[in-house]
Amino acid sequence: MNGRTISRSQLAALVDDLVGSGVGVVAPVRAPDGRLDYRPVARLEEAVLDGGLPRLSLKSLFLPPTEPLFSFRKSGPDVAIDSVPTTFPPRLVLGAVPCDAAGVAALDKVMGWDYRDELWFGRREATTIVSVACGKGDASCFCGATGNGPAGTRGADLLLLPLDDGFAVEVVTPKGEALLSAHAGRFGEPPNEADVARRRAGLLEGRVEPVGSLAPVTAWLGGHFDDPVWDGIALRCHGCGACASVCPTCHCFDIVDEPEGVTRGTRRRNWDTCQTARFTLHASGHNPRSVQDARYRQRVLHKFSIYPERFGELLCTGCGRCSRACPGGMDLPDVLGAIAARAAAPAGGAA
Amino acid sequence: MKELRDLATKLLAEGTVNVVLGWEEGPRGVRPAFATDAAAAGRLVFDPRCTQNLVPYLSPRRTQVKKLGKAAVVVKGCDARAVAGLVRETQLAREDVVVIGVRCGGVIADPASPEPLSPATVADRCPGCNSREPKLADHTVGELPAAPPGESRRDVRIADLEARTADERWAFWQDELGRCVRCHACREACPMCFCERCVADKTQPQWVDSSPHPRGAFAWNVTRALHLAGRCVDCGECERACPVDIPLGLLNLKLARVASERFGYTATDDPAVPSPVGSFQKDDAQEFIL
Repeated sequence: MNGRTISRSQLAALVDDLVGSGVGVVAPVRAPDGRLDYRPVARLEEAVLDGGLPRLSLKSLFLPPTEPLFSFRKSGPDVAIDSVPTTFPPRLVLGAVPCDAAGVAALDKVMGWDYRDELWFGRREATTIVSVACGKGDASCFCGATGNGPAGTRGADLLLLPLDDGFAVEVVTPKGEALLSAHAGRFGEPPNEADVARRRAGLLEGRVEPVGSLAPVTAWLGGHFDDPVWDGIALRCHGCGACASVCPTCHCFDIVDEPEGVTRGTRRRNWDTCQTARFTLHASGHNPRSVQDARYRQRVLHKFSIYPERFGELLCTGCGRCSRACPGGMDLPDVLGAIAARAAAPAGGAA
Repeated sequence: MKELRDLATKLLAEGTVNVVLGWEEGPRGVRPAFATDAAAAGRLVFDPRCTQNLVPYLSPRRTQVKKLGKAAVVVKGCDARAVAGLVRETQLAREDVVVIGVRCGGVIADPASPEPLSPATVADRCPGCNSREPKLADHTVGELPAAPPGESRRDVRIADLEARTADERWAFWQDELGRCVRCHACREACPMCFCERCVADKTQPQWVDSSPHPRGAFAWNVTRALHLAGRCVDCGECERACPVDIPLGLLNLKLARVASERFGYTATDDPAVPSPVGSFQKDDAQEFIL
């Protein structure tokens, strides 16, 4: 680890410093029903660090479930457009789960691809992400299979690794370095390397992931759009899209114009999902993805074939939220395992 | 269990049905199963983890299930009310499905939980259940277990909400519905949300804003609750499907009580009992009609 340490009390003081200087601090907070949500905090005590996965992923802080793109006003024959700000006040996420931070990094690719999404990058630039290494994995987690891990740094500016009192601090990006430099007095000496190594190893101790390497799956998917493996793959899928809502990387959105009275209105973008029948329903009534199997195949292909082909990385960080959220008992590692078995079977290689 | 498996195997073998909708062990607790052969029928289970209502899979929208052919469905008492609801509202012909009832002593809220059935883990709808043995069934299997443990948490929560001021209730629902992302998972998992074209999907005119801002979240959730008043079968699927844990059961149960008080209707697995929205009685209360 290239970094420093910070005690719990100094971290609390750092939060006070930041909040006092006008930085919005967001952290996992315990809701009345016991679940965690990323919410603004005024003090460290409100935050739950390393408490497991928040209900919605970090994506919701950069691509909110709904947001205005612009407003319009009609005055006689003229239409005036009121744009929305694309710069945002400074913000710090404290206690991001590593698989969530990795999801944000994966989404940077598509958000900056053929069009640079101003709202996404406006928020990205204004935000520093401090992840906390995860000690709360369960049997649905498969971050390792996706190239991430409980102490993964992808998408994080700083990574905190819990010690007995406080944290070891790993600097990941210049933005993280800048935070550390600006508040240098709050940080202590570099941690004991052996202790850090032992604790990192401890995060992986006893972990058995529900699915192995995804490389064979990714390699096989491209040429097998019509493979029999897809028949009945989504029997128990309701097409409800709960998986996409909680997913740290699903990013499809719908664009709607909402009138506010007769002469004004707002264009908004709202989360959408390929798991519903309406997503691909044509005006003619034809639906190219008429069966849930085809819609579920799209979800798998986008994450494990199309995105890697275009951007060189998976559109999945192995957080397992989709499996936990699914009312029908669809389980992505189970599906990936079935595809891996199909790919490994002698006849499975045939395109 | 053997009784259930033997029956499913027999129904498949004699060709009475092509698929039996039941439950099986999955990677995370039990999950819906679609048994089309004896081997799969032999894997069916029923125990207190089987909280999922399988009746939504009978919807014509589930084309992936539909193409398997004629179905038998395993139902608990609460699920049987959904079958009755679909028959009552002419979405399902009674003879088109074989209903296998299971006698039930309550289920746990989370089918993936390894915890046993207890007052802490029991699903909200179970304590005090009066339909533990489905009447609407072609076959009924299993012994009747002891009554579900615990007492209704929802009674306490509804009483607590009713005791609050309107402003406090507004604040409560603003907070709960503030999490809604308008994914409509509640609708898709609901056996009674069978509309081919939901009012929330209509755009000409747009009755319900599609955005999950406060106006859209309230418009959607209140509309759905009202459309289910006197129709909701209290199977808990909407609340279980909700990815942000909105306590939809509180809304639905409150409206079910209003329907009961005003129209004497409670959800039942007898399809011959008319629902308040599907029938007209001359002595229906009318003083609320302007």
